[in-house]
Amino acid sequence: MRIQHIKELYDYRNLIWVLAWVEFKQRYKNSVLGYFWSLLEPLLMLSVLYIIFSNLMKVQVEHYQLFLLQGIIMWNFFSRATSMGLMAIIGKPHLVQKVYFPRDILVISGCTTALLMSIFESVVFIGFMLFFQIPLSVNIIVLPVIIFLFFIIALGASMALAALNVYYRDIQYIWALVLQVGFFATPILYPLTVFPPLLFRVLSYNPIAQILYLARDVTLYSKVPNLASFSYAVVISIVILGIGYTIFSRLEPKFAEEL
Amino acid sequence: MAAVIEVNHLHKIFRIPHEKRNTIFETLTGLIKPTNFEILHALKDINFSVEEGEMFGIIGQNGSGKSTLLKIMSRILIPTEGSVITRKTVTPFLELGVGFNYDFTAAENVKIYGIIMGLTPQDIEDKTEDILEFAGISQFRDTKLRNFSSGMQVRLAFSTAIQTKPQILLLDEVLAVGDQEFQKKCLQELERFKREGVTIIFVSHDLEAVKKHCGRALLLNHGIQVMMGETDEVVGMYEGSG
Repeated sequence: MRIQHIKELYDYRNLIWVLAWVEFKQRYKNSVLGYFWSLLEPLLMLSVLYIIFSNLMKVQVEHYQLFLLQGIIMWNFFSRATSMGLMAIIGKPHLVQKVYFPRDILVISGCTTALLMSIFESVVFIGFMLFFQIPLSVNIIVLPVIIFLFFIIALGASMALAALNVYYRDIQYIWALVLQVGFFATPILYPLTVFPPLLFRVLSYNPIAQILYLARDVTLYSKVPNLASFSYAVVISIVILGIGYTIFSRLEPKFAEEL
Repeated sequence: MAAVIEVNHLHKIFRIPHEKRNTIFETLTGLIKPTNFEILHALKDINFSVEEGEMFGIIGQNGSGKSTLLKIMSRILIPTEGSVITRKTVTPFLELGVGFNYDFTAAENVKIYGIIMGLTPQDIEDKTEDILEFAGISQFRDTKLRNFSSGMQVRLAFSTAIQTKPQILLLDEVLAVGDQEFQKKCLQELERFKREGVTIIFVSHDLEAVKKHCGRALLLNHGIQVMMGETDEVVGMYEGSG
């Protein structure tokens, strides 16, 4: 990404923020329970999954409720960010065809909305942390960095998806399938160790798996983040953003004509 | 006086496929049979320049390429050949109320639309009252936009848009909205911009308005630059041919 482009994005920061805020507000505006609706959703999912997995499958994980909840909230972020990113360009034909601004702003603001929603949902998580009196260590200060890397991964994927979706509208259906498979290929319900060794090794390359490991280590288990995982996450997020940005900027000039 | 807009040998060609392939599946199956394209040469070798502070008219029938030209000047479309050089910030008013959101109130929409048009949050904060008053809807500031009439929406959009401090303003037929009184207000604002030295590109079917406001004009017909020069002559040519 060129420095000049980053400067341009900085000049448009108000636009990024306003678009994200509008989307965020609109999500909750028309529901009776308003913002609390979004807290109920992860709670409900947590209860169902907890009952099934802690009793039926006898998963042996320390602080399983929190392990599960953190997994759900973080996976929801990725799934929402990419689903919103996917529609970022084709969902706003007016903005693309009638005004000029760097088009990636639409994708960035989509991912920012997803991040706002997840931060909001985390209120439930913090509540549970307090309730179960999970001790925090100084390692928690790494969490914002891990979330930032996660955001970069989601943004990179969203950029590629948003651009490709302009040309190939079935990308959205394919991506929905990828997300469904991804849910089970990521340690959300269970640690990856439940898989046989070969599959375990393959799935360890899943960037989101590494992000989840890192995030749980520093929040739930008071551990120092694993250096190998951390380095992998840094490298892979740069690679994904690089690929996503390249695809996006190749296709961007023709967006207004293709919509 | 320096030229703030220079258009050199500008061409725009649209390739319109007979059947649009919009999915990966169609693209793969379509590899076997060739695609037929309709070539639309929307702009052919356009050349002109506009001086700073000038008000420049562009006229022509529907489909003559006026809007395409404006979109290229605003960087929304890219030229197929040739170039457009702009030496100041371009503010396009191609359509009013882009990004308006019907679930939000008038005041909130001023904020959203203002940011899209390039105002700063501070500007908007300071000017929201003025904007609502100019649009004549001060008492409805907390009413949702969906309950507004289309005329009120357009007035709100225009009032917000003129708060931007444009250097080069591109106007595409936007004044053709609202009632007589509001149109008069709009033209007054245009005059104010002119006095302040804003360069204005004015696309309109209202030939009287073009004659009254523009010093020079450009006539397009099916993407070809028919004539450029003194507005009276250009309008005369257009009326003579049409």
